[in-house]
Amino acid sequence: MRWIEALIVIFAMSVPFSVMKDQNLTTYLYWTVVSASYLIFIALRRW
Amino acid sequence: MLLYALLLYLAIGTIITVLTMRKILTDEDYYIGGRKVGGVISALTYAATTYSAFMMVGLVGLTYISGVGALGFELFYLVGTLMLLSYYAPKLWKIGKEKNFITPGDVFSSRYGKNVAKILTPFIALALIPYTSLQFVGISLLLSKEISFEFGVAFSALFTAFWAFLGGLRSVAWTDAIFGIFMLSMAILAVFYASSLLPPSPDFSKLGELLYVPNSFWRYDVFISYTLPWFFFALTNPQVFQRIFIPKDEASLKRMVVIFGFFGLLYTILVTFLGLQLRLLTEYDLFPKISDRDLVTPKFLEIIPSWLSIAIAVSIFAAAITTANSIVLTLSSMFTRDLFNNRSVMAGRIFVVLITLAIAIFAIQRPAYIVDLAIMSSTILLCQLPLIFGVFHWKSGGQIAAISTLVAGFLTAILLYYTKKTLGIPIAVWVLLMSFAVFFLVAFLEKRFIKES
Repeated sequence: MRWIEALIVIFAMSVPFSVMKDQNLTTYLYWTVVSASYLIFIALRRW
Repeated sequence: MLLYALLLYLAIGTIITVLTMRKILTDEDYYIGGRKVGGVISALTYAATTYSAFMMVGLVGLTYISGVGALGFELFYLVGTLMLLSYYAPKLWKIGKEKNFITPGDVFSSRYGKNVAKILTPFIALALIPYTSLQFVGISLLLSKEISFEFGVAFSALFTAFWAFLGGLRSVAWTDAIFGIFMLSMAILAVFYASSLLPPSPDFSKLGELLYVPNSFWRYDVFISYTLPWFFFALTNPQVFQRIFIPKDEASLKRMVVIFGFFGLLYTILVTFLGLQLRLLTEYDLFPKISDRDLVTPKFLEIIPSWLSIAIAVSIFAAAITTANSIVLTLSSMFTRDLFNNRSVMAGRIFVVLITLAIAIFAIQRPAYIVDLAIMSSTILLCQLPLIFGVFHWKSGGQIAAISTLVAGFLTAILLYYTKKTLGIPIAVWVLLMSFAVFFLVAFLEKRFIKES
Protein backbone atom coordinates (compact mmCIF):
# COMPACT_ATOMS: atom_id res chain seq x y z
CA MET A 1 0.00 0.00 0.00
CA ARG A 2 2.76 2.46 0.92
CA TRP A 3 4.51 1.68 -2.37
CA ILE A 4 1.37 2.66 -4.26
CA GLU A 5 1.11 5.87 -2.24
CA ALA A 6 4.77 6.67 -2.98
CA LEU A 7 4.36 5.97 -6.70
CA ILE A 8 1.24 8.14 -6.95
CA VAL A 9 2.92 11.07 -5.18
CA ILE A 10 6.14 10.82 -7.22
CA PHE A 11 4.12 10.50 -10.43
CA ALA A 12 1.99 13.54 -9.51
CA MET A 13 5.11 15.58 -8.68
CA SER A 14 6.71 14.56 -12.02
CA VAL A 15 3.76 15.64 -14.19
CA PRO A 16 5.12 19.15 -14.98
CA PHE A 17 8.12 17.57 -16.74
CA SER A 18 5.94 16.07 -19.46
CA VAL A 19 2.77 18.15 -19.59
CA MET A 20 3.21 21.76 -18.52
CA LYS A 21 4.90 24.22 -20.84
CA ASP A 22 2.87 27.35 -20.07
CA GLN A 23 4.71 30.62 -19.59
CA ASN A 24 2.76 31.51 -16.46
CA LEU A 25 2.66 30.29 -12.86
CA THR A 26 0.82 27.02 -13.65
CA THR A 27 3.77 24.75 -12.79
CA TYR A 28 4.48 26.74 -9.63
CA LEU A 29 0.85 26.49 -8.48
CA TYR A 30 0.55 22.84 -9.51
CA TRP A 31 3.53 21.75 -7.39
CA THR A 32 2.26 23.80 -4.45
CA VAL A 33 -1.23 22.26 -4.66
CA VAL A 34 0.08 18.66 -4.96
CA SER A 35 2.43 19.12 -1.97
CA ALA A 36 -0.27 20.81 0.13
CA SER A 37 -2.75 18.03 -0.74
CA TYR A 38 -0.30 15.33 0.31
CA LEU A 39 0.43 17.21 3.54
CA ILE A 40 -3.30 17.39 4.32
CA PHE A 41 -3.61 13.66 3.51
CA ILE A 42 -0.77 12.90 5.96
CA ALA A 43 -2.36 15.12 8.62
CA LEU A 44 -5.78 13.45 8.35
CA ARG A 45 -4.66 9.84 7.88
CA ARG A 46 -4.47 7.40 10.80
CA TRP A 47 -0.81 6.57 11.48
CA MET B 1 24.60 48.16 13.18
CA LEU B 2 24.37 44.51 12.09
CA LEU B 3 26.85 43.61 14.81
CA TYR B 4 24.61 45.19 17.48
CA ALA B 5 21.62 43.29 16.07
CA LEU B 6 23.60 40.05 16.33
CA LEU B 7 24.57 40.82 19.92
CA LEU B 8 20.86 41.35 20.65
CA TYR B 9 20.21 37.97 18.99
CA LEU B 10 22.88 36.36 21.23
CA ALA B 11 21.30 37.97 24.31
CA ILE B 12 17.78 36.79 23.38
CA GLY B 13 19.03 33.27 22.62
CA THR B 14 20.86 33.14 25.96
CA ILE B 15 17.76 34.34 27.86
CA ILE B 16 15.69 31.62 26.14
CA THR B 17 18.37 29.06 27.06
CA VAL B 18 18.41 30.09 30.73
CA LEU B 19 14.60 30.17 30.99
CA THR B 20 14.15 26.74 29.40
CA MET B 21 17.07 24.95 31.09
CA ARG B 22 16.21 21.94 33.23
CA LYS B 23 18.42 19.75 35.35
CA ILE B 24 20.51 17.48 33.11
CA LEU B 25 21.21 14.19 34.82
CA THR B 26 21.70 11.76 31.93
CA ASP B 27 22.89 11.84 28.34
CA GLU B 28 19.28 11.16 27.35
CA ASP B 29 18.36 14.53 28.94
CA TYR B 30 21.28 16.26 27.22
CA TYR B 31 20.93 14.91 23.66
CA ILE B 32 17.19 14.33 23.26
CA GLY B 33 15.61 16.40 26.04
CA GLY B 34 14.72 13.30 28.06
CA ARG B 35 12.11 12.39 25.36
CA LYS B 36 9.82 15.01 26.89
CA VAL B 37 9.56 17.63 24.13
CA GLY B 38 6.08 18.75 23.00
CA GLY B 39 4.88 18.44 19.40
CA VAL B 40 5.06 22.13 18.47
CA ILE B 41 8.59 22.67 19.78
CA SER B 42 9.68 19.36 18.18
CA ALA B 43 8.26 20.54 14.85
CA LEU B 44 9.93 23.94 14.99
CA THR B 45 13.33 22.53 15.97
CA TYR B 46 12.99 19.96 13.16
CA ALA B 47 12.25 22.78 10.72
CA ALA B 48 14.99 25.14 11.93
CA THR B 49 17.52 22.28 11.88
CA THR B 50 16.54 21.30 8.34
CA TYR B 51 16.30 24.75 6.79
CA SER B 52 19.73 26.36 6.92
CA ALA B 53 21.04 29.61 5.43
CA PHE B 54 20.79 27.76 2.10
CA MET B 55 17.11 28.72 1.90
CA MET B 56 17.34 32.52 2.03
CA VAL B 57 20.67 32.68 0.16
CA GLY B 58 21.11 29.53 -1.96
CA LEU B 59 17.50 28.75 -2.88
CA VAL B 60 16.56 32.37 -3.62
CA GLY B 61 19.57 32.54 -5.96
CA LEU B 62 18.87 29.12 -7.49
CA THR B 63 15.27 30.16 -8.28
CA TYR B 64 16.49 33.48 -9.70
CA ILE B 65 18.89 31.65 -12.06
CA SER B 66 16.90 28.50 -12.88
CA GLY B 67 13.19 29.22 -12.27
CA VAL B 68 10.37 27.08 -10.88
CA GLY B 69 12.44 23.86 -11.07
CA ALA B 70 14.01 25.03 -7.78
CA LEU B 71 10.57 24.88 -6.16
CA GLY B 72 10.05 21.38 -7.61
CA PHE B 73 13.40 20.21 -6.24
CA GLU B 74 12.66 21.55 -2.75
CA LEU B 75 9.06 20.25 -2.69
CA PHE B 76 10.23 16.80 -3.83
CA TYR B 77 12.39 16.86 -0.71
CA LEU B 78 9.39 17.88 1.41
CA VAL B 79 6.98 15.20 0.15
CA GLY B 80 9.78 12.60 0.42
CA THR B 81 10.36 13.62 4.03
CA LEU B 82 6.65 13.49 4.85
CA MET B 83 6.37 10.07 3.22
CA LEU B 84 9.37 8.64 5.09
CA LEU B 85 8.47 10.21 8.43
CA SER B 86 4.83 9.12 8.32
CA TYR B 87 5.96 5.52 7.82
CA TYR B 88 9.27 5.17 9.68
CA ALA B 89 9.07 7.80 12.44
CA PRO B 90 6.42 6.00 14.56
CA LYS B 91 8.41 2.74 14.33
CA LEU B 92 11.70 4.46 15.18
CA TRP B 93 10.13 6.45 18.02
CA LYS B 94 8.68 3.26 19.53
CA ILE B 95 11.86 1.16 19.37
CA GLY B 96 13.85 4.21 20.51
CA LYS B 97 11.73 4.45 23.65
CA GLU B 98 11.74 0.70 24.29
CA LYS B 99 15.47 0.21 23.80
CA ASN B 100 16.67 3.63 24.98
CA PHE B 101 18.11 4.65 21.60
CA ILE B 102 19.59 8.14 21.40
CA THR B 103 21.66 8.18 18.21
CA PRO B 104 21.21 6.66 14.73
CA GLY B 105 24.26 4.58 15.67
CA ASP B 106 22.25 2.97 18.49
CA VAL B 107 19.70 1.76 15.92
CA PHE B 108 22.44 0.30 13.72
CA SER B 109 24.32 -1.21 16.69
CA SER B 110 21.28 -3.14 17.87
CA ARG B 111 20.92 -4.79 14.46
CA TYR B 112 24.43 -4.91 12.98
CA GLY B 113 26.74 -4.72 16.00
CA LYS B 114 28.61 -1.94 17.77
CA ASN B 115 31.47 -1.74 15.25
CA VAL B 116 29.09 -0.40 12.62
CA ALA B 117 28.30 2.64 14.73
CA LYS B 118 32.05 3.15 15.33
CA ILE B 119 32.73 3.14 11.57
CA LEU B 120 29.70 5.31 10.84
CA THR B 121 30.68 8.15 13.18
CA PRO B 122 33.83 9.34 11.32
CA PHE B 123 32.03 9.01 7.96
CA ILE B 124 29.24 11.24 9.20
CA ALA B 125 31.73 13.68 10.69
CA LEU B 126 33.57 13.82 7.34
CA ALA B 127 30.31 14.67 5.61
CA LEU B 128 28.89 17.10 8.14
CA ILE B 129 31.89 19.04 9.51
CA PRO B 130 32.70 20.62 6.11
CA TYR B 131 28.98 21.29 5.51
CA THR B 132 28.73 23.08 8.86
CA SER B 133 32.00 24.93 8.18
CA LEU B 134 30.36 26.37 5.11
CA GLN B 135 27.63 27.86 7.32
CA PHE B 136 30.37 29.61 9.32
CA VAL B 137 32.03 30.84 6.12
CA GLY B 138 28.69 32.22 4.90
CA ILE B 139 28.06 34.04 8.17
CA SER B 140 31.59 35.50 8.19
CA LEU B 141 31.22 36.76 4.62
CA LEU B 142 27.89 38.33 5.58
CA LEU B 143 29.68 40.17 8.42
CA SER B 144 32.79 40.99 6.39
CA LYS B 145 32.02 44.73 6.24
CA GLU B 146 31.86 44.93 10.03
CA ILE B 147 34.46 42.44 11.32
CA SER B 148 37.38 40.38 10.00
CA PHE B 149 36.76 36.93 8.51
CA GLU B 150 38.56 35.15 11.37
CA PHE B 151 36.57 37.08 13.99
CA GLY B 152 33.39 36.21 12.10
CA VAL B 153 34.24 32.51 12.30
CA ALA B 154 35.04 32.80 16.01
CA PHE B 155 31.76 34.67 16.54
CA SER B 156 29.82 31.92 14.70
CA ALA B 157 31.56 29.20 16.71
CA LEU B 158 30.66 30.95 19.97
CA PHE B 159 27.00 31.22 18.94
CA THR B 160 26.93 27.59 17.84
CA ALA B 161 28.49 26.01 20.91
CA PHE B 162 27.19 28.23 23.71
CA TRP B 163 23.51 27.25 23.90
CA ALA B 164 24.15 23.58 23.10
CA PHE B 165 26.88 23.46 25.77
CA LEU B 166 24.67 25.01 28.44
CA GLY B 167 21.33 23.33 27.98
CA GLY B 168 21.74 20.57 25.40
CA LEU B 169 18.82 19.65 23.17
CA ARG B 170 16.22 21.45 25.27
CA SER B 171 17.94 24.82 24.82
CA VAL B 172 18.73 24.14 21.18
CA ALA B 173 15.09 23.18 20.54
CA TRP B 174 13.64 26.27 22.19
CA THR B 175 16.05 28.68 20.49
CA ASP B 176 15.37 26.85 17.21
CA ALA B 177 11.63 27.28 17.76
CA ILE B 178 11.74 31.01 18.49
CA PHE B 179 14.23 31.80 15.73
CA GLY B 180 12.42 29.45 13.31
CA ILE B 181 9.33 31.64 13.64
CA PHE B 182 11.55 34.69 13.15
CA MET B 183 13.04 33.16 9.94
CA LEU B 184 9.56 32.56 8.55
CA SER B 185 8.40 36.08 9.47
CA MET B 186 11.39 37.65 7.73
CA ALA B 187 10.73 35.60 4.58
CA ILE B 188 7.13 36.93 4.58
CA LEU B 189 8.38 40.52 4.97
CA ALA B 190 10.93 40.04 2.17
CA VAL B 191 8.22 38.78 -0.23
CA PHE B 192 5.91 41.68 0.66
CA TYR B 193 8.70 44.20 0.13
CA ALA B 194 9.70 42.67 -3.21
CA SER B 195 6.00 42.79 -4.26
CA SER B 196 5.92 46.51 -3.50
CA LEU B 197 8.82 47.05 -5.93
CA LEU B 198 7.02 45.31 -8.80
CA PRO B 199 4.44 47.08 -10.99
CA PRO B 200 0.78 46.27 -10.21
CA SER B 201 -0.31 43.00 -11.92
CA PRO B 202 3.23 42.01 -13.00
CA ASP B 203 3.58 40.02 -16.20
CA PHE B 204 5.26 36.75 -15.14
CA SER B 205 5.40 35.53 -18.75
CA LYS B 206 8.50 37.75 -19.07
CA LEU B 207 10.33 34.93 -17.22
CA GLY B 208 9.96 32.64 -20.26
CA GLU B 209 11.55 29.20 -19.83
CA LEU B 210 12.08 29.82 -16.10
CA LEU B 211 8.38 29.05 -15.61
CA TYR B 212 8.54 25.40 -16.69
CA VAL B 213 10.65 22.23 -16.58
CA PRO B 214 12.72 20.85 -18.16
CA ASN B 215 14.55 23.99 -19.28
CA SER B 216 18.18 24.84 -20.07
CA PHE B 217 19.13 24.45 -16.37
CA TRP B 218 16.74 21.77 -15.07
CA ARG B 219 17.55 18.86 -17.37
CA TYR B 220 16.36 15.44 -16.15
CA ASP B 221 19.80 14.37 -14.89
CA VAL B 222 20.37 17.68 -13.08
CA PHE B 223 16.97 17.45 -11.40
CA ILE B 224 17.64 13.87 -10.25
CA SER B 225 21.13 14.70 -8.97
CA TYR B 226 19.72 17.59 -6.90
CA THR B 227 16.62 15.75 -5.69
CA LEU B 228 17.71 12.20 -4.90
CA PRO B 229 20.04 12.85 -1.92
CA TRP B 230 17.50 15.24 -0.41
CA PHE B 231 14.56 12.89 -0.88
CA PHE B 232 16.02 10.56 1.77
CA PHE B 233 17.36 13.38 4.00
CA ALA B 234 14.98 12.49 6.88
CA LEU B 235 16.59 9.06 7.27
CA THR B 236 20.19 9.73 6.27
CA ASN B 237 20.98 12.99 8.11
CA PRO B 238 21.61 12.19 11.79
CA GLN B 239 20.65 15.62 13.13
CA VAL B 240 17.05 15.18 11.88
CA PHE B 241 16.99 11.39 12.44
CA GLN B 242 17.76 12.00 16.12
CA ARG B 243 14.83 14.40 16.39
CA ILE B 244 12.44 11.49 15.84
CA PHE B 245 13.33 10.40 19.40
CA ILE B 246 12.53 13.70 21.14
CA PRO B 247 8.67 13.98 21.17
CA LYS B 248 7.05 13.05 24.48
CA ASP B 249 4.37 10.76 23.00
CA GLU B 250 3.04 9.48 19.68
CA ALA B 251 0.52 12.31 19.34
CA SER B 252 3.39 14.81 19.70
CA LEU B 253 5.38 12.89 17.09
CA LYS B 254 2.55 13.18 14.58
CA ARG B 255 2.11 16.87 15.47
CA MET B 256 5.86 17.33 14.86
CA VAL B 257 5.66 15.88 11.35
CA VAL B 258 2.51 17.74 10.32
CA ILE B 259 3.51 21.15 11.70
CA PHE B 260 6.99 20.74 10.19
CA GLY B 261 5.28 19.98 6.86
CA PHE B 262 3.24 23.19 6.99
CA PHE B 263 6.30 25.22 8.03
CA GLY B 264 8.38 23.69 5.23
CA LEU B 265 5.72 24.21 2.59
CA LEU B 266 5.16 27.86 3.53
CA TYR B 267 8.88 28.64 3.84
CA THR B 268 9.67 26.98 0.51
CA ILE B 269 6.86 28.81 -1.30
CA LEU B 270 7.98 32.16 0.16
CA VAL B 271 11.67 31.70 -0.60
CA THR B 272 11.20 30.49 -4.17
CA PHE B 273 8.57 33.15 -4.87
CA LEU B 274 11.08 35.77 -3.69
CA GLY B 275 13.58 34.37 -6.21
CA LEU B 276 11.02 34.64 -9.02
CA GLN B 277 10.05 38.17 -7.93
CA LEU B 278 13.68 39.34 -7.97
CA ARG B 279 14.18 37.84 -11.43
CA LEU B 280 11.02 39.58 -12.64
CA LEU B 281 12.35 42.84 -11.17
CA THR B 282 15.48 42.27 -13.30
CA GLU B 283 13.28 41.78 -16.41
CA TYR B 284 11.60 45.12 -15.59
CA ASP B 285 15.08 46.73 -15.16
CA LEU B 286 14.32 47.41 -11.48
CA PHE B 287 17.00 45.05 -10.10
CA PRO B 288 20.51 44.41 -11.52
CA LYS B 289 21.10 41.27 -13.56
CA ILE B 290 23.17 38.88 -11.42
CA SER B 291 25.01 35.85 -12.79
CA ASP B 292 26.45 34.49 -9.50
CA ARG B 293 23.44 32.99 -7.74
CA ASP B 294 24.94 33.37 -4.27
CA LEU B 295 24.98 37.14 -4.72
CA VAL B 296 21.26 37.56 -5.42
CA THR B 297 20.15 37.84 -1.77
CA PRO B 298 23.13 40.04 -0.72
CA LYS B 299 22.22 42.41 -3.60
CA PHE B 300 18.57 42.43 -2.50
CA LEU B 301 19.70 43.32 1.04
CA GLU B 302 21.58 46.31 -0.38
CA ILE B 303 18.53 47.86 -2.04
CA ILE B 304 15.99 47.49 0.77
CA PRO B 305 15.66 49.76 3.85
CA SER B 306 18.46 49.17 6.33
CA TRP B 307 16.16 48.03 9.20
CA LEU B 308 14.68 45.32 6.97
CA SER B 309 18.08 44.40 5.58
CA ILE B 310 19.47 43.92 9.10
CA ALA B 311 16.43 41.91 10.22
CA ILE B 312 16.68 39.58 7.21
CA ALA B 313 20.47 39.25 7.67
CA VAL B 314 19.90 38.24 11.31
CA SER B 315 17.30 35.68 10.16
CA ILE B 316 19.89 34.21 7.76
CA PHE B 317 22.40 34.13 10.60
CA ALA B 318 19.79 32.41 12.81
CA ALA B 319 19.08 29.84 10.08
CA ALA B 320 22.80 29.00 9.89
CA ILE B 321 23.25 28.76 13.66
CA THR B 322 20.09 26.70 14.28
CA THR B 323 21.35 24.16 11.76
CA ALA B 324 24.95 24.24 12.99
CA ASN B 325 24.24 23.78 16.70
CA SER B 326 21.90 20.86 16.03
CA ILE B 327 24.58 19.14 13.94
CA VAL B 328 27.22 19.79 16.62
CA LEU B 329 25.02 18.32 19.36
CA THR B 330 24.20 15.25 17.27
CA LEU B 331 27.85 14.69 16.31
CA SER B 332 28.78 15.05 19.98
CA SER B 333 26.28 12.30 20.87
CA MET B 334 27.72 10.04 18.15
CA PHE B 335 31.33 10.58 19.22
CA THR B 336 30.66 10.03 22.92
CA ARG B 337 28.14 7.17 22.79
CA ASP B 338 28.91 5.37 19.52
CA LEU B 339 32.65 5.85 19.12
CA PHE B 340 33.90 6.05 22.72
CA ASN B 341 31.03 4.30 24.51
CA ASN B 342 30.91 7.12 27.06
CA ARG B 343 27.57 8.11 28.61
CA SER B 344 28.64 11.13 30.69
CA VAL B 345 27.11 14.53 30.04
CA MET B 346 30.47 16.20 30.67
CA ALA B 347 32.00 14.17 27.81
CA GLY B 348 29.14 15.37 25.61
CA ARG B 349 29.81 18.99 26.52
CA ILE B 350 33.55 18.56 25.85
CA PHE B 351 32.75 17.12 22.42
CA VAL B 352 30.41 20.03 21.66
CA VAL B 353 33.40 22.34 22.18
CA LEU B 354 35.87 20.12 20.29
CA ILE B 355 33.59 19.59 17.29
CA THR B 356 32.78 23.31 17.11
CA LEU B 357 36.53 24.03 17.21
CA ALA B 358 37.13 21.52 14.38
CA ILE B 359 34.42 23.21 12.31
CA ALA B 360 35.91 26.65 13.00
CA ILE B 361 39.41 25.47 12.01
CA PHE B 362 38.04 24.08 8.73
CA ALA B 363 36.19 27.33 8.12
CA ILE B 364 39.23 29.56 8.76
CA GLN B 365 41.45 27.56 6.41
CA ARG B 366 38.81 27.61 3.66
CA PRO B 367 40.46 24.92 1.50
CA ALA B 368 38.59 24.12 -1.72
CA TYR B 369 37.70 20.62 -0.61
CA ILE B 370 35.48 22.03 2.16
CA VAL B 371 33.07 23.23 -0.51
CA ASP B 372 33.36 19.92 -2.39
CA LEU B 373 32.66 17.84 0.69
CA ALA B 374 29.87 20.16 1.79
CA ILE B 375 28.14 19.79 -1.58
CA MET B 376 28.69 16.05 -1.37
CA SER B 377 27.47 15.67 2.22
CA SER B 378 23.91 14.48 1.46
CA THR B 379 25.20 12.18 -1.30
CA ILE B 380 27.83 10.64 1.03
CA LEU B 381 25.17 10.04 3.68
CA LEU B 382 23.06 8.02 1.23
CA CYS B 383 25.29 5.00 1.90
CA GLN B 384 23.38 4.44 5.17
CA LEU B 385 20.07 3.85 3.40
CA PRO B 386 20.36 0.05 2.90
CA LEU B 387 21.22 -0.28 6.60
CA ILE B 388 18.15 1.70 7.64
CA PHE B 389 15.82 -0.26 5.35
CA GLY B 390 17.51 -3.46 6.53
CA VAL B 391 16.50 -2.73 10.14
CA PHE B 392 12.82 -2.73 9.18
CA HIS B 393 12.46 -4.87 6.06
CA TRP B 394 15.19 -7.50 5.67
CA LYS B 395 16.39 -10.27 7.91
CA SER B 396 19.66 -10.86 6.06
CA GLY B 397 22.66 -8.58 6.47
CA GLY B 398 24.95 -8.51 9.47
CA GLN B 399 28.01 -6.61 10.63
CA ILE B 400 30.21 -7.33 7.60
CA ALA B 401 27.45 -6.42 5.14
CA ALA B 402 26.80 -3.15 6.98
CA ILE B 403 30.45 -2.10 7.19
CA SER B 404 31.11 -3.06 3.55
CA THR B 405 28.08 -1.01 2.47
CA LEU B 406 29.20 2.10 4.34
CA VAL B 407 32.77 1.86 2.99
CA ALA B 408 31.69 1.13 -0.60
CA GLY B 409 29.06 3.89 -0.68
CA PHE B 410 31.41 6.45 0.85
CA LEU B 411 34.29 5.62 -1.53
CA THR B 412 31.95 5.64 -4.55
CA ALA B 413 30.75 9.14 -3.68
CA ILE B 414 34.27 10.52 -3.19
CA LEU B 415 35.87 8.77 -6.19
CA LEU B 416 33.14 9.74 -8.65
CA TYR B 417 33.09 13.32 -7.41
CA TYR B 418 36.80 13.73 -8.08
CA THR B 419 37.18 11.62 -11.23
CA LYS B 420 33.84 12.79 -12.76
CA LYS B 421 33.63 9.45 -14.59
CA THR B 422 29.90 9.05 -14.04
CA LEU B 423 28.77 8.10 -17.59
CA GLY B 424 26.21 10.91 -17.37
CA ILE B 425 24.46 9.24 -14.43
CA PRO B 426 24.07 11.35 -11.25
CA ILE B 427 26.54 10.42 -8.48
CA ALA B 428 23.66 9.94 -6.03
CA VAL B 429 22.27 7.17 -8.26
CA TRP B 430 25.68 5.45 -8.36
CA VAL B 431 26.01 5.68 -4.57
CA LEU B 432 22.57 4.16 -4.05
CA LEU B 433 23.19 1.39 -6.60
CA MET B 434 26.61 0.55 -5.16
CA SER B 435 25.41 0.63 -1.55
CA PHE B 436 22.38 -1.60 -2.15
CA ALA B 437 24.36 -3.97 -4.40
CA VAL B 438 27.15 -4.38 -1.82
CA PHE B 439 24.68 -4.79 1.03
CA PHE B 440 22.75 -7.60 -0.68
CA LEU B 441 25.85 -9.31 -2.08
CA VAL B 442 27.75 -9.34 1.22
CA ALA B 443 24.59 -10.27 3.13
CA PHE B 444 24.22 -13.28 0.82
CA LEU B 445 27.88 -14.28 1.33
CA GLU B 446 27.56 -13.78 5.08
CA LYS B 447 24.56 -16.07 5.18
CA ARG B 448 26.20 -18.65 2.95
CA PHE B 449 29.67 -18.89 4.48
CA ILE B 450 29.81 -17.32 7.92
CA LYS B 451 26.62 -18.79 9.34
CA GLU B 452 27.41 -22.18 7.81
CA SER B 453 30.87 -22.18 9.36
